[in-house]
Amino acid sequence: MSSSADEAPRRRAGRGRYRPLLQRVVAANAALLVAACLLTVLVLAPRKFSTVAVDEAIVLLVALALVALINVFLVHRFVAPLQKLNALARRVDLASPGQRIPDARPISEAGELAATFNDMLARLEREQREVSRRVLAAHESERLRVAQELHDEVGQTLTAVLLQLSRAQERLPRELSGELREAQAAARASLEDVRRIATDLRPETLNDLGLASALAALSDGFGRRAGVRVERQIATPIPALGSEAELAVYRIAQEALTNVARHAGSDSAELTVSSDPDLLTLTIRDHGRGLPNRGAADGNGVRGMRERAGLIGAKLTIEPPLHGAGTELRLELPLDGARCSG
Amino acid sequence: MLTGGRDAKRGSEDRTPGTDASAKQVRLMIVDDHPAVRLGLQQLLDCQPNFSVAAVCIDAEGAAARAEAERIDVAVVDYQLGGRNGLWLCRQLRRLPDPPHVIIFSAFANDHLAACCAVAGAGAVLNKGVLGSELCDAVRSVVRGRRLLPRVSQPLADMLRRRLPEREQMLFGMLLAGIPRVEIARTLAMSARELNCRADAMLRDLEPLPGEASASDRPQRRLDRERLIPRPRPASPLRG
Repeated sequence: MSSSADEAPRRRAGRGRYRPLLQRVVAANAALLVAACLLTVLVLAPRKFSTVAVDEAIVLLVALALVALINVFLVHRFVAPLQKLNALARRVDLASPGQRIPDARPISEAGELAATFNDMLARLEREQREVSRRVLAAHESERLRVAQELHDEVGQTLTAVLLQLSRAQERLPRELSGELREAQAAARASLEDVRRIATDLRPETLNDLGLASALAALSDGFGRRAGVRVERQIATPIPALGSEAELAVYRIAQEALTNVARHAGSDSAELTVSSDPDLLTLTIRDHGRGLPNRGAADGNGVRGMRERAGLIGAKLTIEPPLHGAGTELRLELPLDGARCSG
Repeated sequence: MLTGGRDAKRGSEDRTPGTDASAKQVRLMIVDDHPAVRLGLQQLLDCQPNFSVAAVCIDAEGAAARAEAERIDVAVVDYQLGGRNGLWLCRQLRRLPDPPHVIIFSAFANDHLAACCAVAGAGAVLNKGVLGSELCDAVRSVVRGRRLLPRVSQPLADMLRRRLPEREQMLFGMLLAGIPRVEIARTLAMSARELNCRADAMLRDLEPLPGEASASDRPQRRLDRERLIPRPRPASPLRG
């Protein structure tokens, strides 16, 4: 075979120098048949070439072509699932689950293999989900512990310091009161920080007052602290989602707003929650400098958001908005029966 | 956090400082489960003129027993205590024959807690970041019968209202508005005892965490959260 014909199979296989099975089987069968036909013609044909012999040769050639075609068809049927499997195995990524080999039916060995591969993917995705869930639960419980410690130890001690400073102020000479006031202001600011960090770590409002209030408090907090004005539109009542989904939606909103404050270079954002009977949509849009470059790998934050979204069976997209500059994050959570509980 | 100014008008008919109410010795009780905060409060309050710290307690049950035994004018109570919380203590104290005024002193003094304080009958809710002088002023104010609760935002008030059974919603509104309990009891034609019972029942639906749940409220709560168990929430229209 020529070198250019050699090129094609190598490209298709991507790796390894081999001729595809289809070519090999068809070539071998064809060679065998051609040899058989030649033999037949040479051995059985009459001594002198006659029109009869030519007719027979035509019949043989047509039969040859037919057999080759049937060969190609059968072998292709066998090989096609293998090619699909190969292609999928190359690009499959557990971070975006649900990819399967189409039409994988166990009607041949290759089909069986494709179906088994699909089963394996499903199992891996299930295990991956379980691991993510456990990791996230461990994160959350660690956050709660840290928040509690911060509040119980650091916060309380700072409160005591403030009280003692207040008392000292009444007893100290006037010339020291300025310095004392500064110390008081610093202790107050630290106490405020402790409270803020503890609240970030442990969204108490979420447990106590539900998702709508928690999202409202979150966006207000960002307005105050990060200087990002968050306009919010929360269509209440938000349907009951269950604590896992509520926490996920809250954390995704928190991460998205953090990204706006850190990277977008935008001083305003919009947080919208809307719901219809079978879909809850959270949208966070900013007017900043937009995504760094399309197609780049997700950062840790975005990966975490995708993981959380995947766990509650929601779809997360981060794209430039249809109109204007900035970035739009969209989380779509199917409600009730439509939701895959994973 | 503290917006006592909003309530100042209500208190304007109060006696001016310098009359017998402020000259009298104010007997205080301090309830906090953190030793440094207890000490800080005690030292601060004890050295104020006319203030005397009569009792220092570390938990709600002990404080309730103590208040029955001796006269207390003002109790400064941390919201989160080891066992039963500050609001539980507040309700116990307000049922005494000569009830002390209660100041809830919390690290998380937000609107939600303020609403619960209004229902529990607390006189004031203060953030733990306040200055000592503000705390002393608050003590003097509640002794004069003022109510220093931040105004609860309308959306939150509506949301909390929806958690309650319909027949309690009007009572909740009145308590939130700071109408004196005697007046409420008279208007709704019920006894003070009945009013207290209904307010207690209401708190169970309103409180951030079930206050009556158990004596080991806090560890249990902590455990719940670590396991990420959803706490049972009363059904309400908002929650769908």
